[in-house]
Amino acid sequence: MMKTSAVRKNLSLSIVALSLLSVESSFATTPTIRLFPTTVVEDLRQTSNVARDMETGLQEVIGRLDQQQELYNESKCNGAENDSGCQRLARQIGATYLEMLTIMEERLPDMEHTVNNTKLSLEKGLRNELGKKMTPWKLQETLIGGKASETLPQNAPTLRGRSGMRLSERFKQYYQLVATSGAKGDQSLAVLASDIYLDMDETSVLMQRTRQEIARATLMEQLNQSFGIITPEMIEVVGGVKSILFGDEDAQTLVAGPPPGSVEQAYRSPLEQ
Amino acid sequence: MNLQAINRPLLTLAALSSMTLFLVSCASTAPVCGSPQSRNLNTAIDGVQTSLINGCHAHFDRYYDELLDIAEGDPKPENKREFSEFLVWSSDKGLLSTRQAEDYYNRFFNVKFMSMRGDYNNCSHTCPNKKKVLFDMERELSDKERGLLKVSRDADGYYRADQLYQEVELVLEATCNACAAGR
Repeated sequence: MMKTSAVRKNLSLSIVALSLLSVESSFATTPTIRLFPTTVVEDLRQTSNVARDMETGLQEVIGRLDQQQELYNESKCNGAENDSGCQRLARQIGATYLEMLTIMEERLPDMEHTVNNTKLSLEKGLRNELGKKMTPWKLQETLIGGKASETLPQNAPTLRGRSGMRLSERFKQYYQLVATSGAKGDQSLAVLASDIYLDMDETSVLMQRTRQEIARATLMEQLNQSFGIITPEMIEVVGGVKSILFGDEDAQTLVAGPPPGSVEQAYRSPLEQ
Repeated sequence: MNLQAINRPLLTLAALSSMTLFLVSCASTAPVCGSPQSRNLNTAIDGVQTSLINGCHAHFDRYYDELLDIAEGDPKPENKREFSEFLVWSSDKGLLSTRQAEDYYNRFFNVKFMSMRGDYNNCSHTCPNKKKVLFDMERELSDKERGLLKVSRDADGYYRADQLYQEVELVLEATCNACAAGR
């Protein structure tokens, strides 16, 4: 048993080492624009792990909150707030809500730290490589990959910001995309880096706001506990947290797919730029 | 004596009338810059070339638009070549500069955007004018729809241009945010 777990541990370490090596070697073949230094790749992996820990901690509490909320609604407590049974249920919901806020308060700083690290590294890369070293024409040529007449690559990244999936899953996907993006060329890298950077930026702002709100919400809920009230704010906050952590069910990944067009080889004019 | 007195103003009037007629006849030699009559692109281009050489070069924009209209009636990939040759001819005849000919061609028949031309870096030049650049690109995209899709039946080319526009929008947003954060 001990032996098996040791083998597994070694195996997983080798996989991590191999994937990191493959990232390094893929960068070595495409040194043109450096948007993903190894630090960014590592930050992405770490963010994914921290997000997974936070989700695991919150999943149980949020599940319990959902059940309590359901019970509250089924007991027709809306409009019967003075009923002692309903007040007891409301206090239980409030206590679980406080538990959720505490977990978030504990885990958010780690998350915020790794997200900000990734954001800052990407920011520097984007500013230097695409902002200062390129003219708009060069940027366009980088995006198009120098072959305007070529059809779209089938494996182009299709992520666009929040894509309705778990936070940890999203970062894991980012990590995998980045780790295998070296072979795809600069055009994919530029889009991918921009996409991740904007998402990190949004996530960072959301976390900052959430942290500011947690202290206030905790105080409010401690006061509400004595009255047994469920505020609409509580429901809203829980909804927001679920949406950020576990994905928005309504959101759909945007996929830009061209309908099949003419495959005839295009004529190249002497005037073409 | 009396007869002579009457004839003098008549003579003046006749002289004035003949001068006016002469001037009017001069004016009527100005070229008639009519639209191409044929719906066949090759024939229409021939007609337009004749008109342009005969002094209608000020109407170049209108002619180009009308030729695109005619080509839309019979869309095919070879139309790209027809327009390219017409523009090269216009440049050779001195009706357009090389740069103008390139603009006319690439705006309609190339995936790349002429609105993204610029000699300075993105942080200093594109980002402060991001809105205008994107607005110009959007307008150019509709010209590309006409040139690539409706005239040349190059659906792949048009959809690549459309995707490029979206990518530029995303990458510029991120890059300009990064540029602003570094100030």
